[in-house]
Amino acid sequence: MDKPELIDRLTTIFRATFDADSLVLTDELTANDVDNWDSLTHMILISEIEKGLDIKFKLKELNKMKNVGALIEIITSKIN
Amino acid sequence: MVFTSLNFLLFFPAVILLFYITPIKYRWATLLIASYFFYLNIEPVFGLLTAIITLSTYFFTRLIDKVNDDKTKSKYMYLNIAIVLLPLFFFKYFTAINDGIFNILDLYEIRWVLPKITFLLPVGISFYTFMAIGYTIDVYNEEVEAEKNIGIVALFISFFPLILSGPIERAKNMIPQFKSDLKLNPANFSIGLKLMLWGYFMKLVVADRLAIYVDAVYGNLAHHNGDTILFTSLLYPIQVYADLGGYSLIAIGVSKILGLDVMHNFNRPFFATSMAEFWRRWHMSLITWLTDYVYTPLAFSFRRYGVSGIVLALMVTFVLSGVWHGATLNFVVWGVLQGVFLSIEALMNKRKTKMENRYSLKSNFLYVAFSIGLTYFLFSISQVFGRAVTFEDSIIVFEKVILERGSLFLDKTTLAYASIGIFMLLLSDFRDEYFPKKMLLFNNKHFVIRLGSYLCVALLILWIGILNGGQFIYFKF
Repeated sequence: MDKPELIDRLTTIFRATFDADSLVLTDELTANDVDNWDSLTHMILISEIEKGLDIKFKLKELNKMKNVGALIEIITSKIN
Repeated sequence: MVFTSLNFLLFFPAVILLFYITPIKYRWATLLIASYFFYLNIEPVFGLLTAIITLSTYFFTRLIDKVNDDKTKSKYMYLNIAIVLLPLFFFKYFTAINDGIFNILDLYEIRWVLPKITFLLPVGISFYTFMAIGYTIDVYNEEVEAEKNIGIVALFISFFPLILSGPIERAKNMIPQFKSDLKLNPANFSIGLKLMLWGYFMKLVVADRLAIYVDAVYGNLAHHNGDTILFTSLLYPIQVYADLGGYSLIAIGVSKILGLDVMHNFNRPFFATSMAEFWRRWHMSLITWLTDYVYTPLAFSFRRYGVSGIVLALMVTFVLSGVWHGATLNFVVWGVLQGVFLSIEALMNKRKTKMENRYSLKSNFLYVAFSIGLTYFLFSISQVFGRAVTFEDSIIVFEKVILERGSLFLDKTTLAYASIGIFMLLLSDFRDEYFPKKMLLFNNKHFVIRLGSYLCVALLILWIGILNGGQFIYFKF
């Protein structure tokens, strides 16, 4: 899966999780920029990404997800 | 030696002087000596606890850093967590377990009464235990490297402004600062002194004054009517805020004077419009600690259960937080209530956001005011279990509030003085919340206004502050 395709799939998951139809993903995007992205919805997001992309995260990796760019990097290392 | 004691007012300038004459390279060592002197003055034997926690944490974090195998790393991490938790468990739950066993023996009339042993809870033990655990997990997660200088680790665990009641700091923030060139400068002095002044105001003028009224009512529930108890229960959150918030500001101010930036603990909590937001503004160093080291691992392992898994993780985290506050049924109920409030909000969140967007409610003054009021009210209800001494007392509070009407108990002097403090505190928070950088007093560009406001606050502290007051509420945790 190339990066644009991954971003497309992630955008669908993000929009559904946060109920934000016009949300656009950028590498710099963080939880502070999105309404309702808190420690509760974050875990739902993680679980939806795992289901949607058929991957499994490690707890250690969660701490490294400082923004969407870091998240994409971790996912890329798992699917490629 | 507490911040409000005369001893501290002699100790702190002496530390600054020693700090100043120590070569920059060794200033961390001056702070370490000062920190142990500060803590040993409370109870010399307590210093042994910080030393043991430091040694164990230093030893195991270095081992975690050295080995490559993840299983061994995790074994060392859990081993250190168990070791540093032991003293906390012993001192915190010894009496509760003891009394439980005595009660059973009494019940069957087989108790052989001997002189009873009681232990004093080492003040601050929870706070430095949490900091040591956080550091250990951070090293395991490769968030920070294991510090090679044991003196720096010892300072992180015993740093005197934070040792008694936090803020519960993180190694990632503090250790690099302790290792940097620590310098005194006028700008930090000015910021630090302002924080301290406002902290003393919150503690001495607001918290300790309110404590007189709250203690009088809660100390004698049988003699007060429901209306008075309701009024008091609505005041109590302000007392806790002013107490721990005031302590935190003094701690942050003292650190700032020494050139160290410490995280803030409160962010105008009484302007939160939901319980979730409230917990992002209240005792932030504890909540972020619980989020990172308790809630997140739990929620992560329950994530396949979706929202139910998150609700379960929330409940467990807050019940643990309650049990940490005290091994009593009251604190378990306190934790359960927080978990229930947050879970209901989490379950309703999507619908609530949709409704707020559809009717533009977030910019509607009445809606915002109602949400702030409701959040405050819910927190006040939960705090009844935090303030009443026993669970039976909490039930009496609710029974009386619902059933018993009567005229308010008016301790006029106490309430009049407390109102001045509460009004100023809430007004200042209101300004910072809705009009930041406007109507500034402590930070006004005109020197005369700045000086006038410092003098006013200092005079108020001397005039209506409780200068022979007691301890800080959070010392008992």
